Amino acid sequence: MTAEETENKSLDELQIEQLEHSDPHRTEQYKSISKGEKLVSIQNLSMVYKTDESETVAIQDFNLDVMKGELVSIIGPSGCGKTTILRAIAGLLKPTGGKIMIGNKECIGSGPDRSMVFQDFALFPWRSVRKNVEFGLEIAGVPKEERKERAMRYLKAVGLENFANSRVHELSGGMKQRVGIARAMITKPDVILMDEPFGSLDAQTRNIMQASLVNMLAKTDTTVIFVTHSVDEAVYLSDRIVVLTKRPAHIKEIVKVPWPRPRDRSSPECTAMRKEILGELEKENVMN
Amino acid sequence: MYQFKYDKHNKYHRAVQQTAIVIVSLVIFVEAWWVLSILANTPAVPTPGETWDALVNLVNNGDTVTDISLWSYIGASLGTFLKGFLLALLVAVPLGLILGTFNTLNEFATPIIEILRPIAPIAWAPILILAINYTIGPILVVFIGIFFPLLTNVVFGVSKIDSSLLDAAKTLGASRAQIFVKVMVPSTVPYIMNGVKVGLGIGWMCIVAAELYAPTLAGIGYFLSEQATLGYWPGAFAAIIVIAVLGLLTTGVAEYVHKFIAKRMGMDV
Repeated sequence: MTAEETENKSLDELQIEQLEHSDPHRTEQYKSISKGEKLVSIQNLSMVYKTDESETVAIQDFNLDVMKGELVSIIGPSGCGKTTILRAIAGLLKPTGGKIMIGNKECIGSGPDRSMVFQDFALFPWRSVRKNVEFGLEIAGVPKEERKERAMRYLKAVGLENFANSRVHELSGGMKQRVGIARAMITKPDVILMDEPFGSLDAQTRNIMQASLVNMLAKTDTTVIFVTHSVDEAVYLSDRIVVLTKRPAHIKEIVKVPWPRPRDRSSPECTAMRKEILGELEKENVMN
Repeated sequence: MYQFKYDKHNKYHRAVQQTAIVIVSLVIFVEAWWVLSILANTPAVPTPGETWDALVNLVNNGDTVTDISLWSYIGASLGTFLKGFLLALLVAVPLGLILGTFNTLNEFATPIIEILRPIAPIAWAPILILAINYTIGPILVVFIGIFFPLLTNVVFGVSKIDSSLLDAAKTLGASRAQIFVKVMVPSTVPYIMNGVKVGLGIGWMCIVAAELYAPTLAGIGYFLSEQATLGYWPGAFAAIIVIAVLGLLTTGVAEYVHKFIAKRMGMDV
């Protein structure tokens, strides 16, 4: 079997896993939402930071709908508050105004329906690789044997089945983030929030990780909101790219990326789109 | 002819060199002691030779005054020490985790802690031993000695918890209680161990000093004060050597356990 066949086989297993173990509470609620229909809806989100002297408006009236199975990336000038938006969706920050809906339910606080992948991986160093992946299931009270079996399937899907018992510090950056992705996917979130997940990896590992993410997404109908500062990454991965203005952040434009994945990053149309978005971002930076 | 060349990158060469330095250091220490005891010319400073004889006698025959063996003295001291240590662990770790988590509580407790912390633990010995009793008193002195370094380390450990680990746990659905048990406690373990390491050293100083006040027939500290009171100086010095060796063993074990756990938890502290 070639490496590609092996990967496809483990991804098939991932697909089975995704279908087999559905959280009855959540699937009941969103059963009606199928691929391509509106799943996440961010309405009039605003974030204001107050200090004694001043009031900083980080985000103003941010509106975005994300369809099921879609990968939407958020890109913008540095410091514009893209991570703040993501953390607000995750429930790690309380928005000053507006609300976040999944289906017809408003999200308050954090929960396993919106799991997150972090730039600095945020893996638990005292847990083995497998136990890190199991964390969300452990929290949900899934029995030990089932936990183990499901974690192994996800580790296989990210190509780390031989590292199940390794410690986190023994892994390379790319491997760590594979664990982070497996850990975020295992709870079957409605949406996975990725906060510059490949930002701390070297360029080559980054490309490999992007390609594996595309592979995984093709097999599942996972919805992803992806924050990045790399235009190349956004064009390679996204269905839509949300370009933000500088602070207070609001949407400058939403670029639709019409080509199917996997994409050729050096194709003329990708290059043209990169150039266009880079131009838009540059304008934001100059206008300071 | 073979010529030995020292290579500082060869770990065997370095180990041999380090051992040699330790031996030379100890030999010079004993020699200096010997010279001093001769110059001082008083029975209160016995020579290393006299002390060695007393030590051998102590190991073989125990305390000839009370007819108690060295081992039961050591056992009694270690027993008191262990009780004080466990008590400190049981109180300081949960308290430190709570104070570290709740800022207001910490601000409330800080003035109280800062008043009590600088007091030498042994200052409590006469009060605790005479007011409470001879068995519980020394345990409490050891407790005080270990409690404060442990508490400050745990509070510090909580402040050092990686906030992205807390975020990760939250987004995976963990409740406050689950975050406490599954993230905060394990994150703090290396700091707890560091506190234990420091605490054990201080605790061991406290036990011997506390036993000096306790006129029970137990504990190596009692034996030391008995020998000194009777003017059996070599015996008193032998007791000090026993105390030194036990102290070295205690901190050595703590050091080892600390390193082992820090590695096991994937952290360097």
